[in-house]
Parts: sequence; C-alpha cells; structure tokens
Amino acid sequence: MQKFGAHTHNIREMDMDDIFLSRLKLLVIMAKAFLDGCPLGENRCRAILENARHMESEAVILGSLLSKFKQDSISTGAMDFDHLFYQRVKLLAAMVKAFAQAHPLGSHRRKSLQDNLDIICRIMMFKGEFVRRQFLEVA
Amino acid sequence: MRWAIISNVKIIVIDDDKLVRNFLVTTLEYSVNRDILTFDNGFSAWVYINKPEPLDLIFSDANIPEIDGIKLLSQIKKKYPKKKYILMSGNPAHEKIANQLGADAFLAKPFTVYDIFDIVQKFVVEGESTT
Repeated sequence: MQKFGAHTHNIREMDMDDIFLSRLKLLVIMAKAFLDGCPLGENRCRAILENARHMESEAVILGSLLSKFKQDSISTGAMDFDHLFYQRVKLLAAMVKAFAQAHPLGSHRRKSLQDNLDIICRIMMFKGEFVRRQFLEVA
Repeated sequence: MRWAIISNVKIIVIDDDKLVRNFLVTTLEYSVNRDILTFDNGFSAWVYINKPEPLDLIFSDANIPEIDGIKLLSQIKKKYPKKKYILMSGNPAHEKIANQLGADAFLAKPFTVYDIFDIVQKFVVEGESTT
C-alpha cells in the first residue's frame, strides 16, 4: 500500500484554510500551465472555471470580512496588505476564467497575468514547487 | 521525450464533505481531463460499483454515511480485488486498517494538489489502474 498526503504525526481533518491554500496553488498551476502552452480540453476548462469561480467568491468573502473589521477598528498596514492580496487572488481568478473561456489574450494581458502570478507566488512563498507534470501536457 | 498518455480512465470520488470532495474532483478533472463521478455516501457508490461499467480508480473518505469507507474497502476488495481503492482519512489509525484490508493507497489529510498529482502519475499515467 502506498501512502500519500500528510505525515503521520500531522494527520487531521482538512479545514477551510487548507482548502483555500490548496485551491490557490491549483489556480497558480492552472495559470502557469496555460502560459507554458499546455493544452486545455473540455473537462480541463470546466475544472479551471470551477476553481476560478470558487476562489473568486472565497476572495470576496475573505476580503469583505477584512473590510468589515476595518470599519470597526483603526486600519493597520497589515490589514491593507491582506486586502490587496485577496484582490490579487480575485484578479487571478478573473484572468484564469478569461483564458478558460477562450477570451483573447495578447502580450499585455499575458504580461499582467505573469506579473500577478509572480507577486502572489512571492507573497505565498511558492518557490520552485511547480514542477511540470507530463500528464498536463496532453489533453 | 516520453509523453504521458492518459487513458480513458474512470474515477469516482466518495465523500460527504462537499468542500473536500469538490476540491478533489476539480483537481482530478483538471489532471486527467475526464469526467469524475461523485457520491456522498457509501451505499450509492456500492450500487454503482456493482454495475457492469468500467471503473479504474476509487477515492473514498473513511467517514461517509450509509456504508463507511472502511467497510466499503473491505466489500470491494472481496468482490473486485483488481479495482484500485484509495482511502482518505484525517485519522492516523485508519492507515493500518487500510493496509490490512488491501487498500492500494492511503491518502492522509490534509493533502495537497501535489499528492493528487502523484496519485494520478502512479495509478493513471504509469498504468497501474485496471478495471
């Protein structure tokens, strides 16, 4: 029997933060694979759209929770940073939805997508994890 | 360069936790570019599995209603020993039980996108899945 997932001493049920982070990584992988020219396909597009829509709504919920908190207390730099981060996630989701729906890209949009990806990866400290998987290169 | 070929693989996911189930399905659907069938209880899954339809890979959470994932594993391995069964759990005690009952893999929670990719690589691309 093969084992995958968490180390034995770290095993626990998944919570919403785990799902958010994993889905964000998946969104980043989806965007990077697209920029690298990996093929899409009907099911893949559906998965991309589902993930992007989920992340868009999660980012809105988390962002609005932060806004509400801001109204009730003095704003701090840390909260503004978080708010911007969730806006970037929402933007990434919108960008990913666009290519999954075959909207035209162009060099400027491609660069914007790459820049947004780079910033999100830097903030989340996603370094060098995105080793390309061969099965993503076929449809 | 050797190209990975994705066969017309049939995968089902059984989990009553909608958030986890949807995340797993999205990742699998993206990885293999095929439809993924889902169930939220062990009984419905068991009914489907008994149909004469090709089925390559079963992902099941341990804690599911009607027939739990461990009992389902036991039933499936007795009747269809060649079907590949991956048990998911947030309880470390289930790993030993899964091994004893013949699970092909244990997916310990919390798992990541890369764990799912590794499973696809092993059981789909490297052709270890059989009907």
